[in-house]
Amino acid sequence: MANLTLNINNKEYRLDADPQMPLLWAIRDLAGLKGTKYGCGVAQCGACVVHMDSEAVRSCVTRVSRAAGKKIVTIEGLSENNNHPVQQAWQQIDVPQCGYCHSGQIMSAAVLLRDNPNPSDADIDDAMAGNICRCGTYLRIRKAIHLAAEMQQKTANG
Amino acid sequence: MLALGYFWKADAREAEIIKAIDADDFGVELNAWVHINTSGKVTIFSHRAEMGQGAYQAIPQILAEELEVNLSEVNVVFAKGDNKKYGNQVTGGSSTVRTAYKNLLKLGATAREMLIQAAANKWNVLKTDCYAEGGHVYHRPSGKKFHYGELVTEAAKLEPPKGILLKKRTDYKLIGKPLPRLDTWIKTNGTAVFGLDKEIPDMLYAAVERNPRLRGKVKSFDDSAARRIRGVKDVIKVKMGVFSTYREGVAVIADSTWAAMQGKKALKVVWDDSGFEHLSTDEIYKRMRESLKTKEGLVFKKQGDPAIIFKNAAKKLDVIYETPYQYHACMEPLNCIAHYQGDKVEIWGPIQAPDWIQDFVSKEMNLPREKVIVNMTFLGGGFGRKAFMDYPHEAAVISKAINAPVQVVWSREDDATQGPYRPGMMYRCEGVIKNGAIDAFKVKLAGQNNDHWRSGKKGEPNRSSSEGFLKPYYDTIKNLSINDVPFETPIPTMWWRSVYASTNGFAYESFMDELALEAGKDPLEFRRMHMQDERVQKLIDKLEEVSGWKNRKQNEGYGVAITECFESTVGQIVKVSRNTDGKVKIDHVWAVMDCGWYVNPDTIKAQVEGSIVMGLGAAVNHQVTFKDGKAVDNNFSTYQMPRINDIPPIEVYIMDNEEEAGGVGEPGLPPFAPALTNAIYDLTGKRIRKLPFNLAEV
Amino acid sequence: MKTKAAIKPSRYFHTKALFALSAMLFMIAAIASSFRSKEDDPFKKAGKQTINKDSIESVKAFASVYKVLMSPRCMNCHPAGDVPLQGDDSHLHTMLPKRGTDGTGVYAMKCANCHQETNTPGLHTPPGNPKWHLPPADMKMVFQGKTPHELAKQLMDPNQNGHKNLQQLIEHASDTLVLAGWNPGEGRTLPPLSHKEFKKAWITWLTKGGYAPAPKPQ
Repeated sequence: MANLTLNINNKEYRLDADPQMPLLWAIRDLAGLKGTKYGCGVAQCGACVVHMDSEAVRSCVTRVSRAAGKKIVTIEGLSENNNHPVQQAWQQIDVPQCGYCHSGQIMSAAVLLRDNPNPSDADIDDAMAGNICRCGTYLRIRKAIHLAAEMQQKTANG
Repeated sequence: MLALGYFWKADAREAEIIKAIDADDFGVELNAWVHINTSGKVTIFSHRAEMGQGAYQAIPQILAEELEVNLSEVNVVFAKGDNKKYGNQVTGGSSTVRTAYKNLLKLGATAREMLIQAAANKWNVLKTDCYAEGGHVYHRPSGKKFHYGELVTEAAKLEPPKGILLKKRTDYKLIGKPLPRLDTWIKTNGTAVFGLDKEIPDMLYAAVERNPRLRGKVKSFDDSAARRIRGVKDVIKVKMGVFSTYREGVAVIADSTWAAMQGKKALKVVWDDSGFEHLSTDEIYKRMRESLKTKEGLVFKKQGDPAIIFKNAAKKLDVIYETPYQYHACMEPLNCIAHYQGDKVEIWGPIQAPDWIQDFVSKEMNLPREKVIVNMTFLGGGFGRKAFMDYPHEAAVISKAINAPVQVVWSREDDATQGPYRPGMMYRCEGVIKNGAIDAFKVKLAGQNNDHWRSGKKGEPNRSSSEGFLKPYYDTIKNLSINDVPFETPIPTMWWRSVYASTNGFAYESFMDELALEAGKDPLEFRRMHMQDERVQKLIDKLEEVSGWKNRKQNEGYGVAITECFESTVGQIVKVSRNTDGKVKIDHVWAVMDCGWYVNPDTIKAQVEGSIVMGLGAAVNHQVTFKDGKAVDNNFSTYQMPRINDIPPIEVYIMDNEEEAGGVGEPGLPPFAPALTNAIYDLTGKRIRKLPFNLAEV
Repeated sequence: MKTKAAIKPSRYFHTKALFALSAMLFMIAAIASSFRSKEDDPFKKAGKQTINKDSIESVKAFASVYKVLMSPRCMNCHPAGDVPLQGDDSHLHTMLPKRGTDGTGVYAMKCANCHQETNTPGLHTPPGNPKWHLPPADMKMVFQGKTPHELAKQLMDPNQNGHKNLQQLIEHASDTLVLAGWNPGEGRTLPPLSHKEFKKAWITWLTKGGYAPAPKPQ
């Protein structure tokens, strides 16, 4: 039955999916990974961000056919034990309120810190303005990204 | 006070595990909130919803304090809907802590005393020689100890003691401390289960095309294209109750969310929109304005004789303020799972009001109340919208019709265009100043009455909006009248974060600024004169101190607003200036919260920060626009949310006192809009009386 | 479907908006397109054409070119700042994505994170193209705010047009990203001329000498 294979979090998923189906729904309903969220369906809110070949794509507008053969990482696969520097910083600062948008926020922030280990406030705006948080945790997101950058540098410096 | 029953010893395995720890065994029930298993693991039931506001943190933090357990070792699960056991579970009105904290403290303390007694009995020693700490009972003289798991079976058999002395605030180890939230870990790795994430075996998915005119019916539909979509199983006509009206739609049931959504797009539905007006926003506000000019309305509150003062006054202020309809815009769109099984229906979802759902669905589906089983998941935002029954009712109707468990998923577009909404309001404020103080104040308000939707009487003033108007000033304004001019439209309305205060606050705290100017007084000083409550006086002092109000500079605008909401008072000062392009920008916000007795200061700060962000969107961008009876904006592309680059620095301070607990999740919102517009007046001399307004055009 | 874009100008959230003078778009791709239909091969046509300078004809043709380039479909990706424009009113793109060095965005805000290879179905959804991007930071090719004179000069200047010679410029009219302007996705208006008319005017302008209109527009 399966018509395509997705590599999600280093695991192969053989799926039977309409090729037009957005990656979001394949991840959630077919692969059963519910950490990636549906928020708007039109690439406006960022709740659905996953990494596809290391870029922070919006899975709600990415057709599953585009994702076949690429490496997908979801929030569940970002780290071994919830310990990516961004996750640790989020925990230390208690960033989430309702928490719904934070899978996407964290996935976006992880790409920022990979490309720019020491981001300024302006860099954070440039990277994170695509992710909406209705609870308004933005100031904590900013603070946590700075903290994650520090933590990442400490780890790098051994 | 809530009617909380204290002790149930039945072995209860009723709540769903959200945090997958000790999933197999909650153990013995010491009371409705506290279960301990034989290995000593403590499970605390959260009887209220968690939508970001921190009930999932506050309830255990209160109980663990008196129970003497380490909070980090506690397992928290959501209770099912059961108000006989838990009292009111409707999570609204910022009520979780303020209505339940005293009982929760007693519940924790009583459970602790029973555990200590059980240990004393086992050791055959004096109870007074024993004490509890960190989930253990110690015998002081010998140093012997038991963990709670070794005691719980015996403890549960004891008669609960009465008249236990509770700890003093100064002795608290947990309460009042900024302890890390228990739900953060699961919200950073994607494992927290929101409504949309819940799955039950053999569950199907449904998407519903509902009448876009908010109250209409289905005349006919063509589902031939929808049925051809891969994965679509069935298409049926459905209805859901919206207060005392019904809204009809056509549901597409499929084996995936995507297939259901595609099927829905392929439907062709003919609607029946007869029997109600198809209004547009302009028409609604025109009518409000007209009625405020011509009608006196119903008296909500009157003191002194304002009429005579207005009649004799040489000068009076007479202005109108407007606030828009608002959409809740939770990040998690509405959704609900229902599994109808003949003699019962079980429901799972992001739910603020399990009790209301039990009441409503049992009545609609002719089932005994206890046969409507309601499970709460985490909520991806609530803001009042999820304190409602329409979406679970619809899910139950679909499950019954297809005889299978089903998850109904609302698209963002459904969520945005279907209401109910916060009602738009219009206020006519009149005032007279004498000797630098308010001599008379009269307000008439027109706007839809939420209570009417809740089958409130039409001949009574609007308690859902009039309530709280000007409340902190009642004592000093001797001649005052508050009138409600009844106003109806077919648009269903409901509560939205901070309810009446979110609109009233803008009107009366803006007008207070206008009156201060008329009186020739400093706006903060004018409030100090007119809000004589000692707690408010202290709050004003604090605001003045932290904001540097007295040292404000020429090219800066400062605005203040202070509002009361759900037993808490919040004051805010906003500072604005012009950027190099000449546009007004928000430089800083200071907020002071007086919520009396409180649990977790970091949660409070987070709630006030978040309220300010939501208040910003509501002040400068958000309004639901109606055209021909339909809501126009259907997604974030046009109903734009504040984003990280829009947020000014925010400082939050909490007043420390021994007063009764007040609300936390909502009171931080109302003062923001008037503090901002007052600051803009201070900077530019331009008075903004209508929300939302375009900051770029000030 | 020809619908008027319903995007309303944002109130606060576009405060940094540059004032769109008149709007338009035109995607100059950094790489020459491989697209070439037999019938429509500009290279072939241009090859046959002799350069026959005629400043009046050239300037006249540029008036049509200018209308297209300044339309939202072209100008929106040739902004004066580093944030693309959006919608028929050419407001700043919501969420303020930045150009980045190579024009493909920055960090978690790369163009292709949302913009797919083809248009996403639905109103207000991201339009798509495999090469979706802005001009790079070292060659911004700004249209927004340019007078006809300025724009024509810029287009003819290899140091400002992506180092294109005449033939490459001619070919560029059929670049896939340029063509995307005529397949804008639901709710977006088309450029004021058809692609065929545009191409004709473009080639005429170039082959008649690529003259710039007088500095001061009449």
